[in-house]
This record gives sequence, C-alpha cells and structure tokens, in this order.
Amino acid sequence: MADKNIRTVTDVICPFCGTLCDDLEVDIDNKEEKIVEVRNGCQIGTKKYFSSNPSVHRYDKPLIKDNGSYKAISWDEAIDKAADILIKAKRPLLYGFSSTECDAQGKGVELAELLGGILDNTASVCHGPSLLAIQDVGAPTSTLGEYKNRADLVVFWGSNPVHAHPRHLGRYSDFIRGYFRKDGSNDRFIVVVDPRNTHTAQLADMYIQLNPSEDYELINAIRAMLRGVELEGDEISGVPKKIIIELVNALKSCNYGVIFFGMGLTQTLSHHRNIDAAICLVRELNDHTKFLLTPMRGHYNVAGANQVFTWQTGYSYSIDFSRGYPRYNPGEFSSVDLLMRDEIDASLIVASDPASNFPAAAVKNMFKYPLISIEPHHTPTSVNADIILPPAIAGIECEGTAYRMDSVPLRLRKVKDAPGDCLTDKEILERLVEAVKKKKGE
Amino acid sequence: MRINNLILITCRTINQGVALEGGKNTIENVRAAGICAFDKEDFKKLDCPVGTPVKVITEHGEVVVYSTISEEGPHPGIIFIPMGPWANQVVNPDSQSCGTPTYKGMKASVEPLPNGKVLNAVNLIKLLKVA
Repeated sequence: MADKNIRTVTDVICPFCGTLCDDLEVDIDNKEEKIVEVRNGCQIGTKKYFSSNPSVHRYDKPLIKDNGSYKAISWDEAIDKAADILIKAKRPLLYGFSSTECDAQGKGVELAELLGGILDNTASVCHGPSLLAIQDVGAPTSTLGEYKNRADLVVFWGSNPVHAHPRHLGRYSDFIRGYFRKDGSNDRFIVVVDPRNTHTAQLADMYIQLNPSEDYELINAIRAMLRGVELEGDEISGVPKKIIIELVNALKSCNYGVIFFGMGLTQTLSHHRNIDAAICLVRELNDHTKFLLTPMRGHYNVAGANQVFTWQTGYSYSIDFSRGYPRYNPGEFSSVDLLMRDEIDASLIVASDPASNFPAAAVKNMFKYPLISIEPHHTPTSVNADIILPPAIAGIECEGTAYRMDSVPLRLRKVKDAPGDCLTDKEILERLVEAVKKKKGE
Repeated sequence: MRINNLILITCRTINQGVALEGGKNTIENVRAAGICAFDKEDFKKLDCPVGTPVKVITEHGEVVVYSTISEEGPHPGIIFIPMGPWANQVVNPDSQSCGTPTYKGMKASVEPLPNGKVLNAVNLIKLLKVA
C-alpha cells in the first residue's frame, strides 16, 4: 500500500542540463516537504533535486552584509537596498538567467532596460560563439526527436555527453530505438572528435583524436576533401590522412547525419570561426546526404534566455541599454570583457555563479563593486555578495517554461514548496522593477 | 620534477557536475574540480605519488590542485582541469572580441608541491576579494 506521507509527482522536467529530460518521478515527504526519492534522473539531476531540501548550503531569507557578516532582513528592506545599489550605478551588469524560467528572464530584460544597464546570460561564456556563427551563416538544425527517429550517423565534436549531458545518448542520440532505427545503437554509427579519448569516445564506432585547438583546420580539410581536393601532407591537425578519408566516406554515405558540438569548439582559439566552418561543412554535406547540427547547450534554460532576450530586444546576449535602446556587440558588451576592462560598477547576478565560472581577473574586478545575488545556495558568488535574495528553484519549487537545447519549449513542474521566505525569481525581479520605477519616479 | 610545455584544457566531468549541485564549499567539490588529470606517461615524469598537490602555472596565473591520472588517455602533453574556480585561476581571459574567454589550450607548466594546500572553492575565490 502506498505511503500516505509520501506524494509522487510524475513527468517532471529536470532543470539541470539542456537535454531537459521529461520523465522524472519525484517522491516528496508531505510532512517535512522534502524530496526523498528521484527516479529516472541522471546523477547530476538527481543531486539537484536533493540539494533543494533545506540544508546549511541553502538560503531561506534575504540577507545583507553588515560589518563582514550577514544579517537577515525583510524582503521590503532587501529590495529597497538592492534597488538603491542598482540605481546608483552608472553601468550595472545583470548577468546569469540561464538556470531560471522564461518569465523571470523577461523581467530581467525589463529591469536592465529601466536601469540602462548591461544584460547578459551565460551563453556569453559557452555557446555565444555558436550564436555568432548562426547569425553569420544560419544553421541547418532539427529537434532531438527527429534525430532519435532518423539519425544513423551521429558525430560528437568537442562534446562529452557521458559527463555533461548524461542521458543524451540514452534518450536521443545512441542507445534509444527510433522509428527508423529499430535496433537503437546497432543502427547508428557514432563518431567522436576530441583531443581526449573521452568516455563518450570509448563508446564510439570511430574516434578521431586531433591536436588541441586545431579543429578549424580539420573541419576545413574535410570540406576540401568533400569537394575533391587532394590534401597535401600525411596528416591534418594530428589526424592521419587515411583516417580523414574514412571519416569523409562515413559522413557522405549515411542516410541522416547530425553533428552535436560542444565547448571543444566554442572555447578554443578560433571560437565562432570553428562553428562557422562546422555549419558550412554541414551545409556542404547536404549535397551528398541529409545532415544537420545542434549545439549541446549546458544550462537547462540557456536556450530560453537566448530566445527571450531575442524576442524582447532583438539580440540573444551581450546587450547594452545605456543609450535607452538595445545595442549588441559581444567583445564590447559581454560580461567578461566588460569586467576585464573594469567598466562595471555594480552587478546583479541571477541564477548563476560567475565567481566560479569567470576567469580570475574578471572576478577580481566584479568584487570591487556592490554585488547582489539572487541565488538559492551558498556559492563563491553569493558568499561575496552584499545582498543575497533567496529564490525558489524553478522546475522544483515553481513552474515556468524552459527551452531544450533544440529550442523546443517545455513546461517545468513544481514538485514542492520552497523553504522559508523564498520568492520565485520572477517575483523578486518584479519587485525590483517596481522599486526602481518608484525611485525613478516612473 | 617540473614539466614544461604542456597544453591545459578545461573540461566538464560528471563528478564536477554532481559536486556543484551539492554545495560548492564542500570537500567533494575540491575532490571533483580541484584536480589536474595527467596522461599516464607524463605523470611518471613528475616523480610523485598520485594525489600529490601540484602547482599549475600559465601566463595568466597559477593554482594548486591535486594530481590524478586520466581515465581518458592517452593524451601525451595535455593536462585537464575540470571547469570551475581552480581552472579559472589559470585560463586565458581573452575572448578575441567574441565574449567567450579561451578556456582551452593554454601553455602550462606543472611542478609537484607535496606540502601544497589545495583551497576549497570559497576560500580560493575569497583571495580575489582581498587582493
């Protein structure tokens, strides 16, 4: 007989990575309002659910720094003081947004516009180069369901889903049986291109080990070979010519191919030029067969942040409102570059931990100025913030919409109440918008 | 023994992912992301037991992390540090005007530091505030 103290929520969307698995089952203890079991999730997603329970790492009331230590304050006071910091700043940075839901992201846009500040999301430090390349040359892409049903050749280039998207192979790209791929893994040919023989590479049918940061050369060698050019030399990017010929033959002879690319392409020296070349390769492969590509997005709703920012401002990240209208220029208005030039004089960080994820020199400059953190857990960013505003965790403690890595929107479910006085990210940002409007007399 | 002319790449690992969801100031996070993975043959040149703290030096900074042997080798001449606060002390912040720093492909040197202290994430980042 079912335990009356436990309720189960099914078909839960996991708010961890861009795969947005939609089949989780979560058991909650009714009495203590705590998660006691998670089924179907990967190791990381499961941990995210358990870490939402009250603990020493979780904030449950607004805090303000006072003589080196934190003291609890009311929401009204916290919002008032946060609004003061943001209004006083000449060039405030609003950063993060990729681990929250779309309505909160929309409120972030409104606040950034009101303040005349900088608005940026975490694509800035991961797949920003992919967005730049897509703006340059477009992107032949599809949904994960199509790949599951049709793809017979799957390339993971500079991505390691066994570690970063643990259920991707099982749900969409390798082991899963599809409508035209009845025998799952046996009906697919998996290729991994990476400088390291990753755990994903160890599962692959073909592993191409290339020199670090030489992806651009290899992609263009493949493109040349596709056009019938005879390559000079015995190897390109450390890959023997014989292997490149085998790879080209595999790419040309499949029925439906897809490249899933990760930060091995975006964070190396050539950045967006790598993606530009990869997209052109896919376009040219379509002269021979059906071929598509999809970025392996990390944060579960970074794709949503790009969508929301784009439909509200015209641009997907690195946006400056200082002239009263949105301007876009990665390199100039991107968070790390602004911080490296010491141009930011206050930061509001939403659902992100830039102190952990930005280069040290950028963090050093961020810490020089007032810092507000909307963050549920103790992180290197939040423990150095002047004001901490504790949110309910989207997808666990409140509903919302998130976009999967293939830009399919899915509705997040609430499975339990947030601890203490937590408000949702959207409510916090709404209150900040109201406070800023009031103070500015709007 | 010090090894020069290595290439440093930062990467995701499942342990790092689990640790960052479970409390960033924990020892689990240090063990998951405060590490540097070596090719087996490269590691022998260090002439120290596995797990010995090592100092990783690039032109952008230096950091002390625990050494380990890669499960994803061989990759001679290449070392890996999981993405996170430790790696970010030594990555190249230059984005070449595209916004994204160059987190992969820095030239690095490594030397064993048997008595070195590997700080936890919060204490490591706190140094940036004091400095």
